[in-house]
Amino acid sequence: MAKAVVRKPKKKQNPLKVAKVERIDYKDTALLRKFISDRGKIRARRVTGVTVQEQRAIARAVKNAREMALLPYSSSAR
Amino acid sequence: MSLRHYELMVILDPEVEERTVAPSLEKYLSVVSQSDGKVDNVDIWGRRRLAYEINKRAEGIYAVVDFHATPAVAQELDRQLGLNEAVLRTKVLRIEND
Repeated sequence: MAKAVVRKPKKKQNPLKVAKVERIDYKDTALLRKFISDRGKIRARRVTGVTVQEQRAIARAVKNAREMALLPYSSSAR
Repeated sequence: MSLRHYELMVILDPEVEERTVAPSLEKYLSVVSQSDGKVDNVDIWGRRRLAYEINKRAEGIYAVVDFHATPAVAQELDRQLGLNEAVLRTKVLRIEND
């Protein structure tokens, strides 16, 4: 009989806590770049490991940064 | 009469001469200073590459302005900047809790 695989998701540490960021600003492109893929897409929360509230703030910041051409809407990497 | 804290980011046309940026920004911001608002800080980032082209321009001159104004004045500032040919893009955001 096949053994039931119990996946224990590894709890990753919050990257914002590590970087000691308390306010997410759309002007901080160096920080925001950590939360977008190389194609310019916003990384999912299960990938980034931040809280729901922080993820929302990050998404808003990325979108504001895109409007001001600080971050790409899409990059043709590939 | 309640003043609110705003942050304005403008992207100016890169063909504008760099040394004329500060005086022309001041002129644009006169709407704020002539009302009872006040300009707290002007930070000119200078030339920066755009992540994508805007009006066929590959770069722009960025400036970030912190100011206090009434909602009507902030809206009027954004409108006037939008009419300006030398302005590629603007963004006015409110800074919450301060």
